[in-house]
Amino acid sequence: MLDIINWLFLQIKILFNILKFLGPAIPMTIKITILSFALSLFLGLFVGIARISKRRFFSFLSKIYVDLIRGVPLLVQIFFIYFGLGKILNLDRFLAGVLAVGICYSAYLAEIFRAGIQAIPRGQFEAALSLGMTPYQTLRHIILPQSFRIVIPPVANEFIASLKDSSLVSIIGLRELTRAGREYYSTYFVDFHTWLLVGLIYLVMTLSLSRVVSWTEKKFKVHGYGVM
Amino acid sequence: MNTSSIIEAKELVKKFGGQKAVDGVSLSVQKGEVIVILGPSGSGKSTLLRCLNGLERFDSGEVVIDGEKMDHGHKAIHQVRKKIGMVFQQFNLFPHLNVLKNLTLAQEVVLNRDKDRAERKASELLSKVGLTDKKDSFPAQLSGGEQQRVAIARALSLNPSIMMFDEPTSALDPEMIGEVLGVMKELAKEGMTMLVVTHEIGFAREVADRIVFMDEGKIVEKGSADQILNRPKNQRTREFLSNVL
Repeated sequence: MLDIINWLFLQIKILFNILKFLGPAIPMTIKITILSFALSLFLGLFVGIARISKRRFFSFLSKIYVDLIRGVPLLVQIFFIYFGLGKILNLDRFLAGVLAVGICYSAYLAEIFRAGIQAIPRGQFEAALSLGMTPYQTLRHIILPQSFRIVIPPVANEFIASLKDSSLVSIIGLRELTRAGREYYSTYFVDFHTWLLVGLIYLVMTLSLSRVVSWTEKKFKVHGYGVM
Repeated sequence: MNTSSIIEAKELVKKFGGQKAVDGVSLSVQKGEVIVILGPSGSGKSTLLRCLNGLERFDSGEVVIDGEKMDHGHKAIHQVRKKIGMVFQQFNLFPHLNVLKNLTLAQEVVLNRDKDRAERKASELLSKVGLTDKKDSFPAQLSGGEQQRVAIARALSLNPSIMMFDEPTSALDPEMIGEVLGVMKELAKEGMTMLVVTHEIGFAREVADRIVFMDEGKIVEKGSADQILNRPKNQRTREFLSNVL
């Protein structure tokens, strides 16, 4: 019995030591995720709107953007932006990492926004236009607020996925959670505990995000509104 | 062209994939006139209405609304649209906004009215359509008839010169039709210029100054309510009326 308790204490001590080592890297993971996702939302919204533009130039260009970005693995994009563009534009690791994840996810978000806008019945556009609103006012006050409610779940999925994919920027030397885990492992050769804890920390963050998403969905729910 | 007309359409043509939905329609509407457009399904009534308020881009012809030419190439087409209140068959209320906001949004955004003034106007209109107690409700909490009355109030919130109704009672349960027609009759009494696409012959008989009968995209016959409903000249009008009356 005493052996088991000692063993348990040892495990907890090992995990606690690893946590102390990993702790400082967690804010970097959060920072990369939030900044890159903010960029994704901004770019994704513009590209999504351009995808359904009546002006062929914009819809064509945005389709190429989506196809190109979606068709190349994120890891390759990270390499390209850091080692390729980074050398020309003098980008540091952090900026290159945020740009790579942000641009990659913007393509997926663009498609989600496009679908969200197209899900709004045509009658809503017509009602707004018939009230003298300009196409911009219609989009801003009528279409996007309704689309927003529709796209919360898929956008949240992408946010959670981008949090996990932020681990890929460890490859260019950014000391985020996964990188810190690799450092600990390569220094102390504790593999099981290290990766168990790294995984658990990601899990806690993604589950917390899921809670925030559920709260957001409830907050923006409109009585009797069919899509929610 | 008649310069005193508030709506003037000349040789209007609208095609859908080569098929003419509106085929050379000319129509002149005087201020304060109530025109009811009758015709079988697919006769081009709704398309004509949508061409007149700029929701549909017509292929040829000319539309002048209150002295302003409808030009889709021109950015200010929304300026012309705000002179026309439009009521749709499916109501098209904004589901994410409550009734009050449905009525104030366009006033604030399009007319730059301040919030207080917009809300005063909204309350006045809700009282007119008998829905003062529903201002905080969302569209999904209202019956079809109530939704349509809110839609009428919303269309009126911009003080339009013309009201257009595209089959406003077709999606309603029979017992709710009366409440919507009641509001429309009130509007007609107040002298609002109205263009109404409907199958409500009783309403047409009671309220219309003129009835326009359309078939296959063309105006087949037009005249006073009495003449069209009691003494139609055209064979097609007679067939239609014998089926609906």
